Formats: sequence, structure tokens, C-alpha cells
Amino acid sequence: MSRGMPRASGYFRTSYTQDLALTQTRLERVSLLAFAVTLAAFPFLATAFYLDLACQVFLAAIGALSLMLLTGYAGQISLGHAGLLAAGAFTAGILFHEFNAPFWVTLPAAAVVGALLGIVFGLPSLRLRGLYLAVSTLALHFVVVYLGGEYETKRGYSTGIVIDPPTIGGYAITNGRAWYFVLLIAAAAALLVCINLLRSRTGRAWRAIRAHETVAEALGIHIPAYKLLAFVISSAMAAVAGALFAYYRHFVSVEAFSLFLSIQYVAMIIVGGMGSLLGALLGAVFVTLFPYLIEAALQKLPDAQSYAGVLFAVNYAAFGGVMILFLVFEPLGLVGIWHRVQSYFLLWPFKHRPVAGAGK
Amino acid sequence: MQLVVNIVVLSAIYALIACGYVLIYRVSRVLNLAHGELMMLGAYLLLATAASFAGNPAAAIAAAVVLSLAVGILVYVLLMRKMTGEMVLAAVLTTVALGTLLRGLVVLIWSAQQQYPGQALGFANPAIAVPGGGRVSTFAAILVVTTALVYAGLFVFLRFGRWGVRMRAAGQNPLLAAQRGINLHAVYALAWGLSTLTGSLAGMLIALDSGLTSSMTIIGLKAFPAALVGGLDSLVGALIGALIIGAAEVLSIQYIDPLLSDVVPFLVLIAMLIVRPWGLFGTHEELDRV
Amino acid sequence: MRSLFVVAAALATGAFSPALAQDAYVVGITAALTGPPAGTYAPAVDSLRIYIDRVNAAGGINGKKVNLVIQDDSAEPSKAAANAKKLLTQDNVMLLIDASLSSTYAPVVAEAKSAGVPLVFASSVCPKDVYPPASESQFCTTAFASTYDSRAALAFVKETAKEPVKIGFAAMAIPLSRGEMEFAAKQAPELGMTALAIEVIPPPTADYTPFATKLKDGGANWVFSWAPWVTQVRTFEALRRLDWNGDYIAWAHLEAEGELKRIKDSRLYVVGSNALFEDNLPIQKEIAEATKKAGGKYPPEQMTEGWIAGMVIEAALKGAGWPATPAKIQASMQNLNVDLKGLRGGPMEWTKDNHFRTKQYYRVYRWDGSKIALVKNWFAYDVK
Repeated sequence: MSRGMPRASGYFRTSYTQDLALTQTRLERVSLLAFAVTLAAFPFLATAFYLDLACQVFLAAIGALSLMLLTGYAGQISLGHAGLLAAGAFTAGILFHEFNAPFWVTLPAAAVVGALLGIVFGLPSLRLRGLYLAVSTLALHFVVVYLGGEYETKRGYSTGIVIDPPTIGGYAITNGRAWYFVLLIAAAAALLVCINLLRSRTGRAWRAIRAHETVAEALGIHIPAYKLLAFVISSAMAAVAGALFAYYRHFVSVEAFSLFLSIQYVAMIIVGGMGSLLGALLGAVFVTLFPYLIEAALQKLPDAQSYAGVLFAVNYAAFGGVMILFLVFEPLGLVGIWHRVQSYFLLWPFKHRPVAGAGK
Repeated sequence: MQLVVNIVVLSAIYALIACGYVLIYRVSRVLNLAHGELMMLGAYLLLATAASFAGNPAAAIAAAVVLSLAVGILVYVLLMRKMTGEMVLAAVLTTVALGTLLRGLVVLIWSAQQQYPGQALGFANPAIAVPGGGRVSTFAAILVVTTALVYAGLFVFLRFGRWGVRMRAAGQNPLLAAQRGINLHAVYALAWGLSTLTGSLAGMLIALDSGLTSSMTIIGLKAFPAALVGGLDSLVGALIGALIIGAAEVLSIQYIDPLLSDVVPFLVLIAMLIVRPWGLFGTHEELDRV
Repeated sequence: MRSLFVVAAALATGAFSPALAQDAYVVGITAALTGPPAGTYAPAVDSLRIYIDRVNAAGGINGKKVNLVIQDDSAEPSKAAANAKKLLTQDNVMLLIDASLSSTYAPVVAEAKSAGVPLVFASSVCPKDVYPPASESQFCTTAFASTYDSRAALAFVKETAKEPVKIGFAAMAIPLSRGEMEFAAKQAPELGMTALAIEVIPPPTADYTPFATKLKDGGANWVFSWAPWVTQVRTFEALRRLDWNGDYIAWAHLEAEGELKRIKDSRLYVVGSNALFEDNLPIQKEIAEATKKAGGKYPPEQMTEGWIAGMVIEAALKGAGWPATPAKIQASMQNLNVDLKGLRGGPMEWTKDNHFRTKQYYRVYRWDGSKIALVKNWFAYDVK
């Protein structure tokens, strides 16, 4: 999962099975287990408010992972991520209201719609790069949001579409704890998909395209196919995240998918650290919790109530400020900080990695 | 005839905003997505100077113009200078973050209410009759004239002015320009200053014409397709692009569906990106610069 | 991975402030204090806060203070849902108020229902569930009411117009405004007026002239607009700039009074449910004084909506007694009659089936050349 500083010195894998395993050392296995236990125990210790925060983090994580695949690994910039989330959410809403479809139909349908939309978003990438690609995704975002708004109005759902909670065998998922586990499993599944995808030929092709497209083409990688594949997979995942979001809030409305949401997702992968799945997760946690941290900080000040009016302006300003700080001073993001901390402990009492030899 | 007047006014608004995008892109290859927020900041600065220079509108306007130039230069010196040499995406995202920061600051300082700088300065806004049977408001007319003057001034400056030539040189080939002794940072700062100046002019005039709300930033975003359709590094292109987008918007309001006017600029943008991504007058090679 | 664990642990052990002790009435508000529609909701929340502070300073209700917890949702449904969850589960509010855009309603209603806490809509449009037959836990104090507003405006137009009416409609591109204009366009022919096309205007428009051009070219001599104030006033100004000489009637939002004085056009009518400060009622003087003392950010004439909400909530909490539970407060609100001292045409009356009000009163004002004048005094519709 994380490259860079090794946890063991040297490379000791002797079989393909060992190479494919998720964890390499005993320390890794123990920490993974501890983390899993914490995650499983969390809902029984936390209040409903923190449960809700955790669920929001999981939803954001799925979206951030999909964007990281697209931008961090395949190098295709997308500023229209909110449009894809909206597409997934609206698919769920439309199918529910028009056809009363259950969730095990709407989720795959959302993935399919996302994939199709991904092709549309991805076509410009065959001709354009960098800024122009970003701009085309931005424009498509506005078009998707406009279509969603039109549907809402034409079908009379002026205050948004209400969706019933999904039912599994007659049991409706409304409990906070139930949702926590559902979303935890979804996020873990998304993470596993991403890890495996990146270890496969597709992942290597994406890394090559991002590093140097001409060389990748010279090596025989079919650029248009892999670019489109990146968009399709990323969009399908984002659409599923959007559909889950719709079910969790049991509510879909076009106002929730603004340009600021796209910017937040881009911030997640930037703040987290581009080119790293851990970065996507850290970024998702950070950006989701950030407004609540600001609010808690403001509450500590005297005369807290009168700040309620300016709270969101402070949020905006602080968000912009933090993003600028990361972009200017810490381009490697939270993952960069994490690796530095890790290196410090691993190398202590030395300060630098040995120059030659000893593992990578 | 009224239709023509409407198209001219809307195109002038978009053109004045678009030349800001073009200036910065042409000189430093950075897309300034904070232009809408800077435009809004200019209008709020006018509100602030109107309060300080109560009774002297000319001084208030002059002060606001100078302040916006200073703001542009400061943005470059304090922030964008650190991003030179970084990935282009990082620079663009920095402008996006700057825009978010500005939006928050503006609400913190001035509150989210609708403001009327025209009222604060004591200007009335009567309608003028145009020969041929249309009507246009005073400030809309002033805006059209201002756009024309700004473009004329920029053409002359870039063609003949010493710093204008330097800006063009830095835009064409930064390395060569630097080796010829051109101070790149100074040129970029000037570009940012001029861009913010023209954007603020647009913001001020719109605010004087119909009032100031924090949703002005979206108008700035809708003007971006105008810049791109014409070619992100061509002033002529910005003018033509603004005309196309303005006409498309007004005609779609009149004949198709008023609601479409919100999304028409982006539809035109997508069409342009499919057919001719570098715009009508942009340089072809821009495509491969990542 | 470990950093996530550390963060989660830190949060779980309460980096956030704990819920306060329950020795006061705890009321929660989720409001659009920032964001584009904030101009309509933020003054009302500020006014409510000033009112409650006053009540607390005078000794509270039933001897207990009222603790107002205000959260900003910026008109975003997911933020509103998170606010509602926090207010209901962490702050343990006994009464929840939603002062935000209608898109935030569904999640907030669901949260309130599952927590068993009554929900009041103040300064935000009243949902269908407060009209008879009303849902048990939803209440509304807001002045404007869909379909009744159109009826009132059209009735006024019919009796004021001196020639056959060709009426145009201006809506903002939000579903609520469009829905109302469509209702009005259907009503107009029944009153003998010719209804022209509805102009739907997207919110962030640089220039309103093209839309005004269409209204003028359609030959309208009256235009009715029911939308956020920004759309109403800019369409009107654009029409006037085009040299249109007709009459314009719009909903009297919070900003209406100040705007009438700014625009000074005697053929701009505003229809509303709240008395304007021009009337100089004693209660309005009280409001102006309190606002000044508390250093309120908004002009006094925008304080009415929140003040009314404050009066109603005070009455509801008084009726619930102490110790109070959400159920007792809800019961107290099923049968409420609050004297609004002239701020509206009549008292705010809630019954078991009607959580909106039994009678909806309207007034019409305009600028008469030197001051704001009353054109039509209180007329009412029974809410069935």
C-alpha cells in the first residue's frame, strides 16, 4: 500500500503468493488487525453524531479513491467529479421513483450509468491534456447538474427526491450502526478493488501514461483504451458512491452537487497526496472533518453564538487557506508528512537513508 | 433592435471579463479560475471606497481602480510566484483555492447581503434610447464603451508599449525572454495586476448597473468559455468568443428556453473543445503543454 | 493507517465540546446563514436570537433560560442533515427550527421525526405538511404561503386594474418559484385576465434585460413575480429601463421596505403578510430599540419574521411548562393562539389540524411619491 521507506530491510518474498499478499511483515499484519478491531468497535463506543461523521468519511473515501485512480495514477485531470456523483444519485432516485426499483438493481444501474458518463467525460481526454481536459470536465459537470435540475422540476420534485431506505430481506437499513458497517464494507471493497487494479497491467499502464505519454505509447500501451478505461472505472465507482450517498441521506437534490463539491474532492487528493491510495483516504478524512474542526474551534471562543452567522464564511476562507498552504509548502500532501514521520522513527538515530544498496 | 442591444451589452460584459483570463494565460500559461472572485472583490472595493470618499465619486472610483491593480500584483507576489515552475495543475488549483478563500473573506468583511454601490455613490441609472428603437441603461452603455477602450488600450500596449512587448515575449518563450534580460517576475506581476484591474472594472460596472451580490462569481465563470472559444491566448479571440457566447445566450433566451441560458456557454465550450480545442484564434501548440 | 486510528481516537475522546446540562429549554436551529439565499434567512435568525436574549435577560420562560443553538447549513441538504443529527443527538434539543432553503427539508424532517422532536419552519417556505390536515410534528410561522399568495396578488390586480389585464410572470429557476407561477398562470384566466408566458430566470444572470424584453414584447401591462427578492427587483428594474409603463406586483420579502424607498416607483406594489415599519406600531419601536441595543447586523425592518417566530416559540414553551420534554412542547403547540400585536393582520393560531394558521392575512403597499403607503388593508383567506 505505501511505497518508499520499507518496513523491513531487503526483499524476502520467495513465491508469487507472498508477493500478492496485502501485508508483508508481522508488524503490518498486527497493525492491520488492530485497525480493523478499532473500526469494528467504533460504532459501539461513539454517539450518533460521530457515527454520522464516520459514514460521511466512508462515502467521501470511495469518491476520493475513484478520483485518485483517475488523476493521481492515470494523470487525467477531472474537475467534474460532483457531476458523476450526481449522476449516480439521480439514477438511484429516478429508478426508485419511476420503477420502484430495489437497491440491488439501482446500485449496479448507477455503476452502468456512471460508466457510460465516464466515456462521455473521457472522450475529450483522447484529444486534450492538462488544462483543456480539466476545463472540458468542468463544462460537463455543469451540463449534468443542469439535466438533474430539469428532471427535478419537470417531474415535480421541487424540494428534491425522497428515497426509501434500502431493504435487505425485509429489514430496512435505517440504524446508524447498520449504515456504518454497510459503508465500511463498501469503502473496504472499493479500496481492495483499487489496490488490485493498481497492481495489475492496467495500473502499470496508467502509471506509464501519467509519467510520460509518448514513451508509454512507444512501449506499446494502447493509450486511448487505457485513458477511457480510467475514466470508465473511476466514474462507475463515483456513481456508486453517489447512489450510496442518496440512500444514506434518503434524499437527492441537485443543490448538493455544486462546483464546490468537485473542488473538495480535488482537494482531498491534493491534500492527501497524489499518487497514493493512502493519500486518498487521509485526504477524505481531512476534508470531511475539516468544517467540524473549525466549528469546534470557534465554539471555544467567547460569544460563540454570534459567530454562527459567519461560520461558513470562515470555513470557506480556512479551506481555501489550507489548500493553498498544502499546494505551496507540502506538495506531497499528508502522505508526504506521514512518510517523513515514518522515516524519522525508522531511521532514528540516523537522519538520512543510506546512500547505496540497502533496499528501496 | 432591442435584441441587438441586449447581445452587445452581454457580449461586452463577457469580453471585459474574458480579457483578464487571456492576459494571464498568454503571459504565464496559468488559468486563473479565481477571476470571478477577484472581479467581485473589485466591486466590493468600490463599495468600501464609496464609504470612505463619500461625496466624491470620481475619487472613489479612482481609488478602487488603483486598489484592484495593487491587489492583482499582491496576489502574484505573495502567492502565485511560489507556484512558478510547479505543475500547471497545481497552479490552477492554487487559483481555485484562492477563489474560495476570497469568497469567504468577502462575506466575513461585508456580509452576504445585496449591496448597491451605485446608490452609495449617488449615481442614477436612467435608460438611454438607442437609435433604431432599443433602450439601454446608462451604465450598460458605459460598460460597452469601457470594454472598447480597454481592448483598444491593451492592443496598443501589447503592440507598442515597452512592457507590452516584454509581456508578449515572456508569453512566447519564457526562457529566451529571461535570458534577454526581461524580469519575468515583474512581467507576470504586471499581467496579474492588469487582469485584476480589467476584471474589477467589469465587476464595478455590473454592480453599478444592477447591484452587487456574492453570486457575481458565477458570471465570471460563465465568461470563461468566451475566452476559451476564442483562444485562451488571443485578445481578438476573447472579443469574438464573447460575442458568440453572448449572442448564443440571448438568442436562446428569446427563442428556445430561458433556462438554457445558464448552460449554453458550457455547451458552446464543449462543442468548441470537440471541434477545435485551441479556440478560433489560439495558437495550436498550446494543446501539448501540460 | 495508524494515523487514522490516532485521529479516530482523539475524536472519540471528545475534541468537541460536550452537551450542556439540561437546566434550560434547548432549542436548535439549522439555517442558511451563508450561501446565496442567506439574505432571506440570516436576518430572521439574528432577530430570533435577539428576541430570545431579551427573554432570557427578563428572567426566561417559567423561570428557566432558553438556550438557542444555531448551526449554519449554507442551504445544503447534507449539511442540514448533519446539523439536525448533531442538534438532536448531541445537544438534545427539545425543539428544532429549520430556517433554510426547501431542499433541506426532507432530511431534517426525517431526523426530527425519528427523534420525536417537533419541527418549526421559520422564515422558510411552509411545506405541505403544515396545512390541514397537518402532520403532528411540523409547524410553520413563515409569512409566505404558496398558492394563497398568488390568489391574494391576483385578486388585488383584478380589483385595481382599470383596463383588461394582460399579466406576465417572472419566476426564478428554482422549482418552488416556477411551481407558484404556474399555479398563478392557471388562476389568472379564471379571473378574466390574459395570462402570458412565464419567464424563468436562472439565478446568476448578468443581465436581466433579455428576460424583460420578452415580457415587454409579450404586451404585458401587469407583471407578477413570486421569487427571491433579487429576481423580483432586477426584473422590475430591467423592465423600467426598457421604458415599460406597466404595474408590477411582487412578494414583500424582508428587503422590500428598504428597497421600496430606494426605487421610489409608485407602480411597484408589494404584497405581504407582515406590517411594514412605516406603520410605526409600538411593537415595531420595541424591535428597533432591541436591535440597536443588541448591535444587530441587519436593519430593524428586516427583523419582523424572526421576532414573530420568537413570540410563537415563547408562547409554546410557556405552555409546555417545566420540566419540559419534546412531547409536551409539541402538545402545547397543537393549540396555540399568539397575539402578534399588529405585526400580522391577526393572531397566529394553530390547531390540531392546522399548523400553518387558521387565517392568512395580506396587505399591499407601494411608494406613493413621498413615503410608503398602504394600498389595501388586511384581507384574509381561511386556510382549509
